[in-house]
Amino acid sequence: MRPYQVATAAAIVLIAAVAMFDSRAAFNPSASTAPGDVGSRWYPFWAASIMGVASLIVAYRALTTPQAIEGVFEGSRSLFAVLKIAVPMLVYALLIGGIGFRTTDFTYRILPPFGFYLATALYMGLFAWWIGRYKIWWVAAITVAFPIVIFAVFEIGFRVSLPKSFLYTSGLLPF
Amino acid sequence: MEVFGQLAGGFAVALHPINMAMLFVAVVLGLVIGVLPGLGGTSGVAILLPITVFIAHGSLPGSDATTAIIFLAGIYWGALFGGVITSILFNIPGEPWAVVLLFDGFPLAKRLGKPGLALASSFVSSFLGALVSTILFTFFALPIALKALEFGPAELFAVFALSFATLIGLGAEAPMKSLAMLALGLLLAAIGFDTITGEQRLNFGQISLLSGISFVPVTIGLFGIGEILASAEEQGIGFVENISARLGLRDVLEAVRELRKRLRLVLSNAIIGFFFGVLPGHGATAASFLGYGLARQYSKNKENFGKGEISGIMGPQAAADSAGVASLVPMITLGIPGSPTSAVIMAGLFIWGLQPGPVLFIQHPDFVWGLIASIYLGHLLTFVLCLLAVPLLAMIMRVPYAIITPFIVVISIIGSYSLNNSMLDVFITVVFGVIGYWLRKMKYPLAPLVVALVLGDSTERELRKALIAGHGSPLYFFNSGLSTVLLVLAIVLVLIPLVRSIRARRRGVSPTAGAGSAAAHP
Repeated sequence: MRPYQVATAAAIVLIAAVAMFDSRAAFNPSASTAPGDVGSRWYPFWAASIMGVASLIVAYRALTTPQAIEGVFEGSRSLFAVLKIAVPMLVYALLIGGIGFRTTDFTYRILPPFGFYLATALYMGLFAWWIGRYKIWWVAAITVAFPIVIFAVFEIGFRVSLPKSFLYTSGLLPF
Repeated sequence: MEVFGQLAGGFAVALHPINMAMLFVAVVLGLVIGVLPGLGGTSGVAILLPITVFIAHGSLPGSDATTAIIFLAGIYWGALFGGVITSILFNIPGEPWAVVLLFDGFPLAKRLGKPGLALASSFVSSFLGALVSTILFTFFALPIALKALEFGPAELFAVFALSFATLIGLGAEAPMKSLAMLALGLLLAAIGFDTITGEQRLNFGQISLLSGISFVPVTIGLFGIGEILASAEEQGIGFVENISARLGLRDVLEAVRELRKRLRLVLSNAIIGFFFGVLPGHGATAASFLGYGLARQYSKNKENFGKGEISGIMGPQAAADSAGVASLVPMITLGIPGSPTSAVIMAGLFIWGLQPGPVLFIQHPDFVWGLIASIYLGHLLTFVLCLLAVPLLAMIMRVPYAIITPFIVVISIIGSYSLNNSMLDVFITVVFGVIGYWLRKMKYPLAPLVVALVLGDSTERELRKALIAGHGSPLYFFNSGLSTVLLVLAIVLVLIPLVRSIRARRRGVSPTAGAGSAAAHP
């Protein structure tokens, strides 16, 4: 437990340090501020420094007081249980928007946006097939049914427009 | 009494067909959210928040902001009741405030073979607790709001400081961790434009961060995705015990008889729960543990606790529901959320274009009193639905893990995207989901983070307004008696953990074994 506690506290200290550096103007507020005002950087600077000091104390406590010996995860199985949810979720979020970067005159696409509906179909289908180990027609039914129901409720019912796929922009699919 | 006239007006609003219909939908959704492990009341309310934007803007015939708040609050009432069902029947808490029901609720259902009595006891005490709390709400709200109307920036800042101090001083986790989370919330809230000078800060040149980090995606991540990851690790889901979930009239009558024997306990726990719930950051969960501790403390047969004692169900339930209702009091009257869930509801108010706080009572009395009346109606509705629909709700537990888990992720992502139509918000949700999971594991409290995030901007504004008014002198805060008292109280509250740890060290006990761990394992 100890190295994890110290590393977590250290990460928070790092965030605090970055925020304090960004807010270093706290000590010379710009001329535009009202008389008596402390300026825009003062408050984030002190919030960050309080956060940093508090985390340093947390780290010190973790180093000096007795800690549970066992690690953070109870064996590799529970770590895998978390990763099994976390990794597909990250991939799902990336699939929806696609991966790419933009320069001033051109957008480079590494992965085209799959949009919300196609990504959801793949994501729900993956779980039914991989975790649920369902028969293939059940997987197919889940893959098709969930996006359609969500489309009906949100796109038609609440008129919420969810991200569309690259096939929608080229006119091949209605979503 | 002016209150009765206002309340009658409120009932007229709440009984409007669209409001009743949405209350019904909300309560059913809340019960389902409560039953589902891995989807909590806070994230449930946050995920459905974008939908309320449509409700508030009149997409449904006759709906307005009052309908929207009745809807959001109704989800909370449903979740408060629903979370206990799985605790009692399956030994799996559906909500954090239902954890305490594992101690006596599950043994009564399983070992003593009385699931119906266990459920009915929980429902009647929840209902009575909520009723007491709502009555107190009705009579306390207006006087608090009228007093708060006189507040200047110094007093407002003092109130914010006091609520932050209660999060640190009375929190269950290590105070330094609470302080770090509180500061992190204030820092995240500061990202983007400064409201007073208009300068940009902490955005590191990113245009997308200029308007700041939105509250709703962060909350959906911390609570929704974070809980999914945590419950994946516990692997508790998928295993469902086979307990009959029938609830007969006999069970209800027996529960009422048992309630009459414990009326003093339930009423006093409800009143304590109310005042506990008004404190910021201490919603139903903390109150449920407190209520359990009190029930055991003052019981004549302590040895029965943990084996299926009815007081061990009624005590915490009365306190938890009462605190849940009470957490809306400071939100509505002062603009300070009493719990993470009420922080989300408060974010909703901002989005609908309302300013939470005392001015609501003057400008939108229909809104406030409609909400208060709907609390009475919502609890009555929840209570009746619980008695009728327990078997149906228990069936939700049979929905397989491989469907329910990705589905919760999908609706979380819809919720975070659709508020601003922003993919950035989706990534914020995913990233904060992982962060929230990790912070939970490292025993950092999330309530201070969420409350500070929603209050950060107003705290800074009032602080700087007060400093401007005082020409830069911090002594301005001590010009008014009220702000002096509140600030001194805040300092005392922050010092409590320090004093406690010094005393513990003198006795040779580890300072980390503070009040929190004692409350968590009564």
